[in-house]
Amino acid sequence: MPMDMELEALLRPPASQMPTYPPKWITLATGAKMVVRQLERGDVPTLLNAVRPTMKVARDYYDIVGARLYAELLGWYRYRVKDHYCLAGQVNGALVGIVNGRMYTPEIGMSYHTLAIDRGLRVGAHLFAAKMEYHLEYLGQEEVWITAESPIGFRRWMIEYGLELKEGMQHELGGASFYSLTKAIWHEAKPRLCVGSRPVPRELLAKAELEIRVADEGHILDKILGVKGGD
Amino acid sequence: MRKVAIVGVGMIPFGRYESESLVEMLAMPALRAMDDAGIGDRAVDALYVGNMAAGMFNHQSAVASALADYLALLPAAADTIENGPASGGSAIKNGLLAVASGYYDLVLVVGGEKMRDVIGPRATDTVATMTHPTAEYIYGVTLPSLAGMFTRLYMEKYGVTERHLAQVAIKNHNNGLLNPYAHIHASITQEGILDSPHSVVNSPIVSDPLRLYDCCPVSDGAAALLLCPAEMVAEFKKPKVVIAGFGQATDTQTVQEREDPTDLKAVRLAAQQAFAMAKQTPRDVDLAELHDAFTILEIAESEHAGFFKKGEGARALEEGRTRIGGDLPINPSGGLKARGHALGGTGVAQVAELVWHLRGEAGQRQVKGAEVGFSLNFGGFGNNVTAFVLRREA
Amino acid sequence: MKELVAYRCKKCGLIMYPKHGRCLRCKAREFEPFEAEGDARLITYTDNQTLPWGIDDRQRFLGIVEFANGVKAMGWLKVATPKLGMKLKPHWEPVRVMGGEDVYGLVLRQGK
Ligand SMILES: CC(C)(COP(=O)(O)OP(=O)(O)OC[C@H]1O[C@@H](n2cnc3c(N)ncnc32)[C@H](O)[C@@H]1OP(=O)(O)O)[C@@H](O)C(=O)NCCC(=O)NCCS
Ligand SMILES: [Zn+2]
Repeated sequence: MPMDMELEALLRPPASQMPTYPPKWITLATGAKMVVRQLERGDVPTLLNAVRPTMKVARDYYDIVGARLYAELLGWYRYRVKDHYCLAGQVNGALVGIVNGRMYTPEIGMSYHTLAIDRGLRVGAHLFAAKMEYHLEYLGQEEVWITAESPIGFRRWMIEYGLELKEGMQHELGGASFYSLTKAIWHEAKPRLCVGSRPVPRELLAKAELEIRVADEGHILDKILGVKGGD
Repeated sequence: MRKVAIVGVGMIPFGRYESESLVEMLAMPALRAMDDAGIGDRAVDALYVGNMAAGMFNHQSAVASALADYLALLPAAADTIENGPASGGSAIKNGLLAVASGYYDLVLVVGGEKMRDVIGPRATDTVATMTHPTAEYIYGVTLPSLAGMFTRLYMEKYGVTERHLAQVAIKNHNNGLLNPYAHIHASITQEGILDSPHSVVNSPIVSDPLRLYDCCPVSDGAAALLLCPAEMVAEFKKPKVVIAGFGQATDTQTVQEREDPTDLKAVRLAAQQAFAMAKQTPRDVDLAELHDAFTILEIAESEHAGFFKKGEGARALEEGRTRIGGDLPINPSGGLKARGHALGGTGVAQVAELVWHLRGEAGQRQVKGAEVGFSLNFGGFGNNVTAFVLRREA
Repeated sequence: MKELVAYRCKKCGLIMYPKHGRCLRCKAREFEPFEAEGDARLITYTDNQTLPWGIDDRQRFLGIVEFANGVKAMGWLKVATPKLGMKLKPHWEPVRVMGGEDVYGLVLRQGK
């Protein structure tokens, strides 16, 4: 169907200038090197293949996170979310985790979701930290608004970072009172929670950029479920 | 006293179970142990179930009665045995004494825990209820933090370093890769958990100086043994492995009341008793399953149990003596670190592991020609410890 | 330190905290209650960064101290950087909320 570009122009939010997130690399516990880099709109169809299977997993609220992340990515792809970004972790090209959010105002960052596809290796912790780093150090914002959907998320972000409660206010995702990561909290937490080296050696980066490999559905379910028995 | 043999062994992989209830989880290894011995429909006289906290984790009590019913062991005697994280060791002890005394012939011992019905911090809290309610618990002390305080002193006194601790973790994760029953199948590297500046996030402080990879995971898991008098072994299909020695000792509940807080007195005494009863020495042991809930404990227990002099456990580790292929492989199963630590399941899983090695059934992680095995189950923070010496006999 | 009550065995003099039903050394059953007194010396400690459910702090320094009069006890160290052997002053303050109520315990600080 041909697009009514006049109407489309009304529906498309204008895009702000957003500095890019400089890629970094992190040694994981296994010794593997994870590249953390910013993805582009054109990568969305590939990402959706990784997110889709997670929507079936009720454990640890993967279904809610998966479904919302799917919608956010799609919205970004079809120009319906303003100033959205997505960072991803890759090991040998394979996608191991995704985080996203958006620039709400020039001063306030809105953190959306953290999805670890490879569990047990603190991938989620590394990627969440990278997204905070992006907001506060590259977008130059004053604070990031964060809400947790799972008890694990609450424990991880609110307590590990020591976030500030915004009593009674609302995050874009709705939900309970949310929390804020301010610059002061970030500077206290950073040495403990945000690591990584730059620049990424050329070969390592080239491998990540060449292809975002997404494991097949069964493999993803296996990884995030990690449940024994059931037979 | 009659000599007691283990004729059947069963285990389920440790990790996280969602579709099985606690009783179903306990039943699976029990059936495997019965089939392993080939007892068919023969009646089991008694059942002992090692479980620490089903009341808190699963909101269920009287677990042994439920299991006897589920497995149609009725009207067999059944008891749940609780001794903290050493509940498994205590359950085996009860089975051992029951058969040794001549009171029962066929006894099933099952140990297990389903900890992951609750989220991590709640599990931490439940485990911490072992500590003294007014002199310890109220402060937010946890088992990792008692271990952290112990580690700090042990490092000061004996020169154990973070590197040694990491080596325990790496060895046990490597062993776990060879064990299909292990909770964690991940090879870790010294770079990733210690040397790289990125390691502060990979292996964050849990309770310093202990980091994530110094701690056992929170596991669901279960294991089972079938015991009978040694003279009955020929009636079953498996080679003869006997419980040659047993020991158990207690120590003060609070660590602060120990004269020397780096001395694990209960470990020393339990091991001495077990060796004395078996008429063997630590030198005779071909492999040991120790309670490495925290990496430091593998080193400290290897000394207190008599395998190495105090302060020399770390060197033995460095020299590779405790690897599979070394002169005293420790935790070929992956230990609590990688096989996992399902509280009441652990003591039974340790002994099951020894039996597999003594029979030559341990697959890729087999300790060659093993004849004598030792296990140590550490309850509380070392205030109630059980030890076993197992032997293959002709 | 008024609230931290230790027990001295009337027969052999052993100092115990917490309370026991029989003396850990001589099995006697009579004790004289007394208060922990004087500076508390830090014997060991840990930085607990994984607190149990019910305590939402990011970290707590916990340690074992020995008072000048021989009482040993665990407490919450409210100091910037703990050091083995350091001298601390005892306080009796809320350490945990249980069943909606403040529970008091030993808190240790530097200075006064
Ligand atoms: C160390 C500890 C606090 C980590 O908890 P956590 O960060 O909440 O970890 P989670 O349970 O959320 O696990 C997340 C993943 O990390 C990995 N992981 C967790 N703990 C691990 C450990 N100790 N070692 C290696 N990997 C671990 C697992 O792969 C897990 O994946 P899974 O869910 O597929 O099993 C927790 O394992 C612990 O408390 N251990 C000590 C238990 C104890 O005291 N037992 C009694 C001793 S007597
Ligand atoms: Zn006395």
